[in-house]
Amino acid sequence: MNFPCYIQHQCAISPQHTFKADIFSAPLVTTDDNMLQVLPPDYAGLIPPNALRRMSKVLKMGLATAVQCLADAGHPQPDAIITGTGKGSLQDMEKFIKDIVTYQETALNPTQFIQSTFNAVNGLIALQQQNTRYNNTFVHRGLSFESALLDAMLQLAEGKQLVLLGGFDEVTADQFQIKSHSGWWKKEKIHSADLLQHVSPGTIAGEGAAFFLLGDQPAANSYAKIAGIRLLNRPGAAKLEGALQTLLATHQVQPDLLLSGRNGDSNYQHFYEQISAALPGVPEVSFKPLSGEYETAHAFGMWLGAEMIKAGKAPQQWFPADTPWPSKLENVLLYNQYYGEQHAFILLQKMA
Amino acid sequence: MTIEALKQQLKEQIIEALNLQDIKPADIDDQAALFGEGLGLDSIDSLELMVLLERSYHIKVEDPREGRKILQSVQSMAEFILSKQPA
Repeated sequence: MNFPCYIQHQCAISPQHTFKADIFSAPLVTTDDNMLQVLPPDYAGLIPPNALRRMSKVLKMGLATAVQCLADAGHPQPDAIITGTGKGSLQDMEKFIKDIVTYQETALNPTQFIQSTFNAVNGLIALQQQNTRYNNTFVHRGLSFESALLDAMLQLAEGKQLVLLGGFDEVTADQFQIKSHSGWWKKEKIHSADLLQHVSPGTIAGEGAAFFLLGDQPAANSYAKIAGIRLLNRPGAAKLEGALQTLLATHQVQPDLLLSGRNGDSNYQHFYEQISAALPGVPEVSFKPLSGEYETAHAFGMWLGAEMIKAGKAPQQWFPADTPWPSKLENVLLYNQYYGEQHAFILLQKMA
Repeated sequence: MTIEALKQQLKEQIIEALNLQDIKPADIDDQAALFGEGLGLDSIDSLELMVLLERSYHIKVEDPREGRKILQSVQSMAEFILSKQPA
């Protein structure tokens, strides 16, 4: 994909202090229970009270992040609203399913059903902003956010000027327990900051929402240029390597930093090892100890990469003290894979 | 159950079902309008209250016009519930 676009503004709610916070001085937030949960801001003032009391966690963080992103950018009406989510509102879905059992398929509450649909956040954004333009939600497991990004780039290439792009997912206690039985999470309890030192089956769960206002042109305070992306489904080693080399050759760039989704899961460690080996001399840091693992975690990674590029520095207090930081942060390559199936590269570049 | 006890129970159930934060049962006047003024509930809340009547009191309201009268206030809800109970 070579339709460059520009991150004009961005906003994130995550397990770290990222919403209206100075990430370069905010302390690292950790957990010892293998589940990183978001730090919810005060949603009053961002979401009308009547709507707020009915919303689940993911709806609140999705809508608030989107609304704040548009407000900060001073562009309340984007030409398109495009998001990706792996699960949508799990809380609402779980409540609805439990009610089906409890009330034997009678007296079911419509609110949880309506809000459990994957495109509920997009609908809420459109309603709050009174926006009736292009509106699309991608649900594609570990490429949900990346598919939304691809669509956003295509929309910009075809003439739209501003696109609101987002990725969001939540974790619930029930989902965590169910996936524990399938080996998604580590059996041993670990300290999240030490995630990469515990290479064993499984990882730690996470959640978050990140929204971006993308433009076809750079703006005065743009964060970064999205130079290119590559999406792959179950690639072999040769295909994965080829995609990386093609992306770098196309843009004639050697990244200053590899910002990876390495997550301490021994089942998929070899993918990250392969990419790291293909980039000799390029320092690698992972965003997963900050965000945890979820379908749209790459949205948090892209948000973090763009923050670093704009500031020209990293929030070093969030990473191990011996992290080898590059001397400049102008080209950041993101690589993430989701349980071996779906892989994505995103190349971010400093504004010219 | 007396009507006073029923009204108290209804207020607690409404607060829980609609997730009315910062509101206590004592804040809800028996006669005050639930929709528009008063609690300021909306059409989605009316569906939730219909579900509440069905779940907790096994009363199904079929006619929307009847529903509007029943859901006018806590008082009207309590009177309706009592009228449906066997003598």
